[in-house]
Amino acid sequence: MTSVPALEMRKATKKYAGVPAIEDVDFTLMPGEIHSIVGENGAGKSTLTKIMAGVVQLDSGQMLIDGQEVRPLTPNDAQKLGVAMVFQETTLVPTMTVAQNLFLGQEKFFNRLRGIYIAAQQFLQSLQFDVDPTAQVSLLGAAKKQMVEIARAVLHKAKVIIFDEPTASLTPEEKKYFFDLVYSLKSRGVSVIFISHALEEALQVSDRITVLRDGKHVVTDEASKFDRARVVQAMVGRDLSQTVYGQRKKQIRPQGKRVLSVQNLRMAAMVKNNSLSVFAGQVTGVFGLVGSGRTETFKVVAGVIKRDFMHGGEVLLHGRPVRYFVPASGVRDGIAYVTEDRKVEGFFETKSIADNIYLGLLAKLRGKRPLFRRSESAEVGEHWIKRLNVRAIGKDVKAIELSGGNQQKVVIAKALVQDPGLIIFDEPTRGVDVGAISEIHAIINGLADEGKAVVVISSYLPEVMAISDRILVQRMGKVVEEYSATEATEEKIMYAAIH
Amino acid sequence: MIAGVLAWKDRLLGRGDAAITVPVFDGALKSNRLIEDATTVATLDAPMDVATDGQTVYVADGVRVLRLLPNGLHEVHRCAGPITALACMPEGGFAVALEGREVRIEGGAHHGRQWSAVGAERFNAINAITVARDGRLHVSDGSTSRTCDQWKHDLMSLGRSGRVFELTPADGAGRVLASGLHHAFGACEIGDSVWVSESWRHHVMRVGDARNGRAPAVTDALPGYPSRIVPAHGGGAWLTCFALRTQLVEFVLREHTYRKRMIAELPPPYWIAPALNSGNTFLEPMQGAQLKMMGIVKPWAPPRSYGLVVRLDEHGLVRYSLHSRYDGKNHGVAAAAECGGKLYLIALGNRRLLALDIAAAERELLG
Repeated sequence: MTSVPALEMRKATKKYAGVPAIEDVDFTLMPGEIHSIVGENGAGKSTLTKIMAGVVQLDSGQMLIDGQEVRPLTPNDAQKLGVAMVFQETTLVPTMTVAQNLFLGQEKFFNRLRGIYIAAQQFLQSLQFDVDPTAQVSLLGAAKKQMVEIARAVLHKAKVIIFDEPTASLTPEEKKYFFDLVYSLKSRGVSVIFISHALEEALQVSDRITVLRDGKHVVTDEASKFDRARVVQAMVGRDLSQTVYGQRKKQIRPQGKRVLSVQNLRMAAMVKNNSLSVFAGQVTGVFGLVGSGRTETFKVVAGVIKRDFMHGGEVLLHGRPVRYFVPASGVRDGIAYVTEDRKVEGFFETKSIADNIYLGLLAKLRGKRPLFRRSESAEVGEHWIKRLNVRAIGKDVKAIELSGGNQQKVVIAKALVQDPGLIIFDEPTRGVDVGAISEIHAIINGLADEGKAVVVISSYLPEVMAISDRILVQRMGKVVEEYSATEATEEKIMYAAIH
Repeated sequence: MIAGVLAWKDRLLGRGDAAITVPVFDGALKSNRLIEDATTVATLDAPMDVATDGQTVYVADGVRVLRLLPNGLHEVHRCAGPITALACMPEGGFAVALEGREVRIEGGAHHGRQWSAVGAERFNAINAITVARDGRLHVSDGSTSRTCDQWKHDLMSLGRSGRVFELTPADGAGRVLASGLHHAFGACEIGDSVWVSESWRHHVMRVGDARNGRAPAVTDALPGYPSRIVPAHGGGAWLTCFALRTQLVEFVLREHTYRKRMIAELPPPYWIAPALNSGNTFLEPMQGAQLKMMGIVKPWAPPRSYGLVVRLDEHGLVRYSLHSRYDGKNHGVAAAAECGGKLYLIALGNRRLLALDIAAAERELLG
C-alpha cells in the first residue's frame, strides 16, 4: 500500500432537515484495500457512501481522492473521479443485453451491435467473467447481474468500487464467486468498500473494518484485530439513558390470549419458514436488520401483500386460519397495519385530517356506509385529533401540511378508528420529532394496557427495548430468537440479528 | 358437499389442514432447560405414573407402588399386573389401573372396589386417573382397540376411540363422560368442570358443559401431544406433553398409503412418529433436529423426542412451561404431581423420577 489514500473523508457531516445522518466522520481507503463499513440500521453507512458516489453532497468536511480535494455533485462526477457504487438493487436495464448495459451512455451516434458485442466479449474475458454479452439482463441470475455491474464499474475505470449489501440476494455458491471477483479487483489495485450486515463475511474478506454508530465514527481497525463480539459491542455500545426512548422496561405485562399465530410461513425469498405468536395485552417488538423479512411477514398477515398459493405456511387469527387478498379483509377481522412509509401508503396527502381518519373507518364499515357523510367525518376527525393530540389549526388542515410526528398520529388514528384487536406498527417513530416519539409510545403502551395485541417493528434497538414486553429477533426471513424485555440486552439482540 | 369441495381445494393448494404447519414455541412456551436440569430422584424399571396425597409422593413402577421417603423409594404395595395409572384416594389407599383394563381401589375406605367396564363399555387402555374433590374418579381410556403401550399405533391409525369415565367409589357406579376422543390421555376436575387431554387433537377440552354437542377447548393448538393433567396449587393445572408435533409427522399423518405400509413393514421404533426417547440407533428417521444456527441447536429445532410440562392457569392460558430440549435426556414426560413446593415428574424416555423446585422455576421464568 502507498501512503496516499485512494479516498479519504475528513470530518464528513451530512444533515437531513437539521438532523445529522453522519457527523464528523473520518474515513480512509488505501489503494487495493478491501474496507468494510458496518453498523446497525441508521448508523450512517449509506449516507457516507452516497456522498462518496456523488448521490448526496457534504454539508461540511472534505472528501479527497488521491490526496486532492473533490466535491462530486452527481454520480457522473464521481464516476469521472473513479468512484462507482454497486447498489443492492441493480441499476441495469433489464430489457437490454449485457453488452448494451455495459456501454450505456457511451454509445456512438451509429451503433453496430456486433461491434458492441465483440468489445464486451473481449472486456468480460479480460476480467474472466463468464457472462454472455448477448444475454438479456432480465434473464440473468443475481450473481451474474452483479458481475455486469462490476464490469461496468471497471469499464468506467473505477479506482474505488462501493458495494452496498452485495451478498444479500446471492446463493452460497454465488457468494463464493463474488468474493473471488472482489479479490481479483483487489489484485488489480482497485479499492473496495463493502457494506454488509453479514458480519462473518466482513470479517473474512476485509483488510480493515470501520464501525459507525448513530452517524458517528466509532472505530477503524484491521480485520484481524476484530472478532464478532468486538464488532457487536462497537455497533451497539450506547448508553440507553442518553437516547430519546428512555430506559428499558423493568416490568413486563402478563401474556394474554394468543391472538396471532404465524406458522411456517414462506413468501418469496424474504420470508423463510417463519413462525411467531402475538399475544393480547402485550407489546411484541420485532427487531431485525434491513432485509430480514419483518415488514414482509406482517404485510402478509395484514393482507397488504397477497400471498400466492404456491407459498406455504399458515396464519391463524384467534386460532382461525386466515388468508387475505386485500387489506380490507384484514381490517374487517380487526387487524390494523400502520405502515412504515406513511407518505406513500399512510394517508391521502391532499385530504384533510378528518377525511383521512374517516376513510379509515369506511374501510372497516364498507357496505354499511355507502356514502361519505361529511358531518360524521368532522365528528370522527375532531374526536381523534383530540384523543391523539394532533397539533393542527383544525380538522380541515391537509395531511401534507402537518409535521412528521402529527402525520404519523393521523396514520395511527386512521388505524385505531377501526377498533382493531391486533395493531401492527411498522417503524412508528421513523422521521418524527422527539416530542412526538414519547407521545406515540404512550399511545402504543395505552393500547397494550387496554388488552390489545400490539406489534412494533423497529430497526432501532433503543426503541425496541424501551417499548416491548417481549422482543422477537428476525434474521434472514425468520424469527431466530425471543427475549423478554427484562432479559434482553442490546448485545444479545444484535448478536442474534446479524449473520 | 361444500365442505368436501373446500377440503379438496385446500389439499390442492396446500392450505388449511394441508398447509402442514405446527405451532411455535414462543411466549410462555419458550424453551428452557428446567426439566433437563431437574434433580433425578431415582431411575426406575418401568415407571408409569406419579401421584400424591398432599404429603407424600407415590410412584407406579411396573407392578409396584413405591413411596418416596427422604432415604429413597420404598415399596408399599404390589399389584397383580402392570400398573398403567395411579391416584391417591383422599381417605387413604390408591386407585390403580391394571394393564389398562381394570380400575381397582387398594386400601382405604373403599378397598376392593373394582371396575372393568361401565355398562357395555369395557376398559381397554386406562392411562390416567384423578380424584375429584367429592371423591369421584375421573378416568381416561386412550383407545378401545390399542393397549396403553401401543399409543404409537393408535396415532398412526388416526385412532378416535378414546373415552373418559366418571367412577363413584362410594356406590360403585360409573358413567361415560365423553367418547369418540382422539386418544384421551388425562382427565381432572378443575374448577367446576372436567378438563380432558385429547392427545391427537393437541388440545385440552372441557367436558361437562358441552354446547351444541361440541366440548369447548380450554387450551388449543399445543405444540405437543398432551398427556396427564393434574391440578396445580393456586389454581390451574399441570399438563404434561409426552412428545412434540413436527411437520414431518403431520405430513405422514396425511399420507394414508405411506402410513399403512410403514405400519405393516417397519418395526415401530423406526417409524416416522414421535418417540419417548431418541438417538438410540442411526436407523431412526431424522426429524429436523439438526437445525443449527451459529453452531448452536436452536430452541425451535423439532426433535423426535422431547420433555415438556405446561403450567396452565384456571382459564387454560399457558403461564409458563418447562422443557428438556433436543439435546437433553429427560424426554417423554407423561406424569406430574405437585407436593411440598416441588414438582415430581416421570420421564418415560429414560425411566426417571425427577423433582424440581417450583418457586425457583417461577423466579427464573416469571422474574
